[in-house]
Amino acid sequence: MTDATTRTPTRARAPRSAGSARLLANLLTYAFLLAGALLMVAPFLFSVMTSLKTPRQFNTSSPLTTPDPVTTENYVSLFGERYDFVVPIAVTAQVVLVLVVGQMLTSILAAYAFAQLRFPGRDAIFWVYLSTLMIPAVVTIIPLYAMMTSLGLKNSFAGLVVPFMFGSPYAIFLLRENFRSTPSDVLDAARIDGAGVMRRLWQVMVPMNKPILATLLLITVVSQWNNFMWPLVIAPRPEWHVITVATAALQTQYNGNWTLVMAATTIALAPLVVLFLIFQKQITSSLGVTGVR
Amino acid sequence: MNARQRAEARAGYLLLVPSFVGVGVFLLLPVLIVLALSFTRYNLLSAPQWAGLDNFVYLLGWERFRNSLWVTTLFTLMTIPTSIVLGLLLAVAINRRLPGTSWLRVLYVLPWVCAPLALGVVWRWIFDPTNGALNALLGRRIEWLADVDLALPSVAFVQVWSSVGYISLFFLAGLQQIPVSVYEAAKLDGAGPVRTLWSITLPLLRPTMFFVTVTSIISSFQVFDTVYAMTGGGPRFTTDVIAARIYDEAFVALRLGRAAAMALVLFLLLVAVTLVQQRYFRRRITYDMS
Repeated sequence: MTDATTRTPTRARAPRSAGSARLLANLLTYAFLLAGALLMVAPFLFSVMTSLKTPRQFNTSSPLTTPDPVTTENYVSLFGERYDFVVPIAVTAQVVLVLVVGQMLTSILAAYAFAQLRFPGRDAIFWVYLSTLMIPAVVTIIPLYAMMTSLGLKNSFAGLVVPFMFGSPYAIFLLRENFRSTPSDVLDAARIDGAGVMRRLWQVMVPMNKPILATLLLITVVSQWNNFMWPLVIAPRPEWHVITVATAALQTQYNGNWTLVMAATTIALAPLVVLFLIFQKQITSSLGVTGVR
Repeated sequence: MNARQRAEARAGYLLLVPSFVGVGVFLLLPVLIVLALSFTRYNLLSAPQWAGLDNFVYLLGWERFRNSLWVTTLFTLMTIPTSIVLGLLLAVAINRRLPGTSWLRVLYVLPWVCAPLALGVVWRWIFDPTNGALNALLGRRIEWLADVDLALPSVAFVQVWSSVGYISLFFLAGLQQIPVSVYEAAKLDGAGPVRTLWSITLPLLRPTMFFVTVTSIISSFQVFDTVYAMTGGGPRFTTDVIAARIYDEAFVALRLGRAAAMALVLFLLLVAVTLVQQRYFRRRITYDMS
């Protein structure tokens, strides 16, 4: 950067214009990045701001003004008897918990088998697993709905979680890649010491792959918290609403009651915003690597 | 096979049992069921009735299905070039590593990790003609989501908004893989910044560009949550993307056979896109210049 300014005086003009061109480029970069960042956070700020206004304030002042005074009225009534938003939060938390535990456990087992054990048909089975990554959710949703409904699992907790708790091909793929690159001498040493398959998995493999497991945990939480289409279809009754479905229902039912609706969207968004701000390194690194949410 | 190998094989199969339920019962079996259902009439109340190719014949002439394919194509054409150009610009800007800009990257990815449904509802309010933030800012009254010409571009804007930071991550990774030595060589040869961009950066980013394009096409063909939250497919079906049409046929109109046929068509389209991607990725470009 400084080399241009320390050249010989005979070429003084060119370096100075190069320097000012660089300054201009830097200014433009800053302006672009800041304008973009503002556009990115604006909807989040609007959501919070509006949720802290009374309907009266909202109707009588510009949407762009800050709440004055700040009110928690919308949150109070959202958690009150009429809307009872405690239910969707509790349902979502349980669904996320069960799916995260189920998917992590089954995916770890499968990834370990694919990465470290030898058995006939292993690679063929892995390719079958891998090919299912191509199957979009919109395609499976109709048969899954028919299956779950005929088992009597519509509007039930089982209906929400059963189809997705037995591992995800994406998680298996991601873990297998990492398990394969784990140095085999450590595992061999454990085997010579008499450690069986399960002990090698849980006491050697899992501790050695903590970072990728943490990343996978985070993306599983994110994608399950945000899930919408399946819960909408299989659990439309209010007592089984997850947070996204409850928010959508509130918006449809109380169209125009925006301060209340924005309290709901703020609740749906806030936990993930916090989670992301804390763990952004782990989450973005996995996005960059795999391209799957 | 000796005893130890047999034990290892048995352990391998046992470890695969739970995930095999997930993959076999809840992913592969549904594909077979969707295929079977597409040849039936089925409304959930009575057993599916064989209908031969009726559903597919119907789809061929059905204006609303053609409309959905067209809307989805338009949506893809609106979102992908825009988000690729902006994502690339963003990556180049971040890659200049000006002091104080590294933490901004976090903000750009924020919309990607949040629920598209909740963000769609927030944007629905921002676009609201009477109380919305956008019209308050502009001081005009524009029916963003109720106008047949503005609804799809508005939804497309939100899609670009939520994915551009995520896309820039791939370009950023791609940019960082290009060895500094290539740029130094270009500089020695007297190449200016524009020339460097056209002759070095963009060609070397081609694999990234291709990957991002294909994955974006795949996800844009499945967009649902944002549309559901913002427009519900309206006004006059101008935002009725294919996933919204499938949802509506299956779960509102309860014509699951016809919906299954549409889902199958969508699946075949996406498989075609994926196959193109895989063909291309066999010819990888390497950056190793040594």
